[in-house]
Amino acid sequence: MKVDAADYGGSLMKEMKRVLIVDDAAFVRMAIRTILEKNGYEVVGEANDGNVAVSKYMEHKPDFMTLDITMPNMDGIETLKAIRKLDPSAVVIMVSALGQERYIKDAILNGAKYFLVKPFKEENVIETLRKIVGA
Amino acid sequence: MEPMLEMFIFETNQNLEQLEQITIHSEKNETFSSDEINDIFRIMHTIKGSSAMMLVNEVATLAHSIEDIFFYMREKKPDNVECSALTDIILESADFIKEEISKLESGSEANASASTLIEMTKTFLKELKSSNGDESQEKIPKELKKKQQYYIGAEKMATVTDNLNVFHAVIQYQEDCEMENIRAYTVLNSLEDAVKEIHYLPEAILEDDDTVGEIRNSGFKMWFTTTKSYEEIDKILQNTIFLKKLELKQLASLEECGYWPVKKEIVKEVILEEVPIKPILAPKKVESPEAAHQTMISVNVTKLDVLMDLVGELVIAEAMVTQNPELAGLELNSFHKAARQLKKISNELQDGVMSIRMVPLSGTFQKMNRIVRDMSKKLDKQVELVLIGEDTEVDKNVIEHISDPLMHLLRNSIDHGIEVPDERIEAGKNPIGKVTLEAKNAGNEVIINIVDDGKGLNKEKLLQRARENNLIHKNEADLTDKEIYSFIFAPGFSTKEKVTEFSGRGVGMDVVMKNINAVGGNVIVNSEAGKGSIITLKIPLTLAIIAGMTVKVGKASYTIPIVSIRESFRPIEQNIIIDPDGCEMIMVRGECYPIIRLHKIYNIATDVTKFTEGIIIMVETGKNKVGIFADHLVGQQQIVVKPVPVYIKNISNITGITGCTLLGDGSISLILDAVGLASRI
Repeated sequence: MKVDAADYGGSLMKEMKRVLIVDDAAFVRMAIRTILEKNGYEVVGEANDGNVAVSKYMEHKPDFMTLDITMPNMDGIETLKAIRKLDPSAVVIMVSALGQERYIKDAILNGAKYFLVKPFKEENVIETLRKIVGA
Repeated sequence: MEPMLEMFIFETNQNLEQLEQITIHSEKNETFSSDEINDIFRIMHTIKGSSAMMLVNEVATLAHSIEDIFFYMREKKPDNVECSALTDIILESADFIKEEISKLESGSEANASASTLIEMTKTFLKELKSSNGDESQEKIPKELKKKQQYYIGAEKMATVTDNLNVFHAVIQYQEDCEMENIRAYTVLNSLEDAVKEIHYLPEAILEDDDTVGEIRNSGFKMWFTTTKSYEEIDKILQNTIFLKKLELKQLASLEECGYWPVKKEIVKEVILEEVPIKPILAPKKVESPEAAHQTMISVNVTKLDVLMDLVGELVIAEAMVTQNPELAGLELNSFHKAARQLKKISNELQDGVMSIRMVPLSGTFQKMNRIVRDMSKKLDKQVELVLIGEDTEVDKNVIEHISDPLMHLLRNSIDHGIEVPDERIEAGKNPIGKVTLEAKNAGNEVIINIVDDGKGLNKEKLLQRARENNLIHKNEADLTDKEIYSFIFAPGFSTKEKVTEFSGRGVGMDVVMKNINAVGGNVIVNSEAGKGSIITLKIPLTLAIIAGMTVKVGKASYTIPIVSIRESFRPIEQNIIIDPDGCEMIMVRGECYPIIRLHKIYNIATDVTKFTEGIIIMVETGKNKVGIFADHLVGQQQIVVKPVPVYIKNISNITGITGCTLLGDGSISLILDAVGLASRI
């Protein structure tokens, strides 16, 4: 049976944006997850390293992902390149700290959509996401 | 505690531990391998990021300045790094961070200043740089230099004759948003599809990080041509992140542009590197099993404590049901069958819960590396630490109780045991002293040996001190070596004339003994003059549930931990000896041991006062064995250790009791502590 979105009052049916969080620090993943879930994003997965991130990305095909730059094994830039190769439309938002300008540039040149700078505030994260990927 | 804070503390502590290990390891090798540099860089980076988010700014700044050193080392690979000095900086910083974290953990504010440490770190980096002839700022990698100054958008293909709109836009960013230059670059990206040709100031936004200042002061200025309307462009630019102010003006013609360099023939550069797609990343194949399933979870210890308590209650409840006095004398075959099944399951459950709580000793052992390093440096001794059996597992609570005593014993070994190199060479030993920390399982106990090859304990000195302190209560000639060595555990006993920073003033060993006894363990010392000492800790695997032997004295029940029982028997008359002082002894296989009458010590009325009518249980006390005299044995069972209530503890005369437990019939049994009892002889 076909159900019209309007039957549910429209807004209820609006799909939440799905996100994958990649960071080797569990603390940062938790911080990002808390902010995103509070603001109506659906966290479909977390990954603590580049290889896991790639496979989880392909598994879930999220609307966007947050990606840490400094990680063991496979760093954020390599992960970004690998994912963009598999899915050129991937929306990737880099997560970095001050002092990593060089890597952020590298990331932007390699197709990252934007970047968040640690320490981030909730309102800044949300402003960035609303503008880049929508609510 | 707030989960975020908890996670922060947990992860930071873990990182610090790892940091310490890596650093000490590389100091030993006198070089930092590239893997180690990467690891330290990453750890400091993570700590920096997390602590900045927790607003622990001093820690963040400190971590940042250390990160800078390792960033430099990673990029420039200098080969003249002073490992030892750098190790000092890192370890001191780790200590500082630990201190701050523990403040947070205890709910107070982390507010100490790290400025001296930060200063030290910066000076170190400066010196490292200048000694490598590298005082200038980080250079931008070359490939970025070649990037174009401006580019022409996708609309380039449209015919030039189109009516083009000319715009001038200035973007001001919010204060403190940082990295304005890169943000500006993303604005260019967002305009990419909309504009025909664009020029902007400052020009070298990607190449030169100093453009940040210019953008902050006078904004990011753009001039561009497009077919899009004012509204469309405005919409795109309004979407700029961290936008504080946007000025967008439509200009009449190109002449009005404040900046429009002579047009060169420019082909839009391909920004994305063309990399041939390798077929390796077939996504489904990449998926490793651990990626799909999380195999480890971390659980709060308090939850495990609750679980353990519940299992304890279950064990008691089970005993209360299956050993219920009302069942006595009844023929209950199927009940007993079911009861056995229940017992089996509850035993397995108990084992399962205990195994969850088991933690390898490796964490505690690894901490010792740091102590050995610091001490040998300060005392000018050379010490090698050998760790054996690090993966031996002990209950989490037990680990917490033995970590301090272990540290103390190790310090003692290095401070008092190991000699300075000259002395060692004179004695014909290897100038490098060796301390071995060895753990192994032995039944329900874990045995930890601290072995050093130092000068050993001086019996003469010990005896002399013992005389001074009036510790000798029998003929000196009768004292066994074991008894002489155990004097070091007497309160206030120290043979070291000089008080050192590390071993303190002799408050040590008796506290060690007390702490180990508190968890039901024991300390034994052995030594050989000139060859070294062995200190052995015997520690129960767990505190909560132990195997115990319940005995009766009159109407009262007592429980003795099975681990300390060696044997029990009913003596025969000839083996009982009474010495001239009236002390009662028992002769077992040619050795004499004192006997403790429980009914006398605890003043209990009983009909059994003759040794030949009751039973003697031989227990190990560390120094020696003693025989405990009781009426009869009741049986062995798993007992749940409960602390003695405070109001009983306050009664002075209760040495020899460590806790109490509930028996199956609902009565209370006191748990006896062999060491405490022996001290009453």
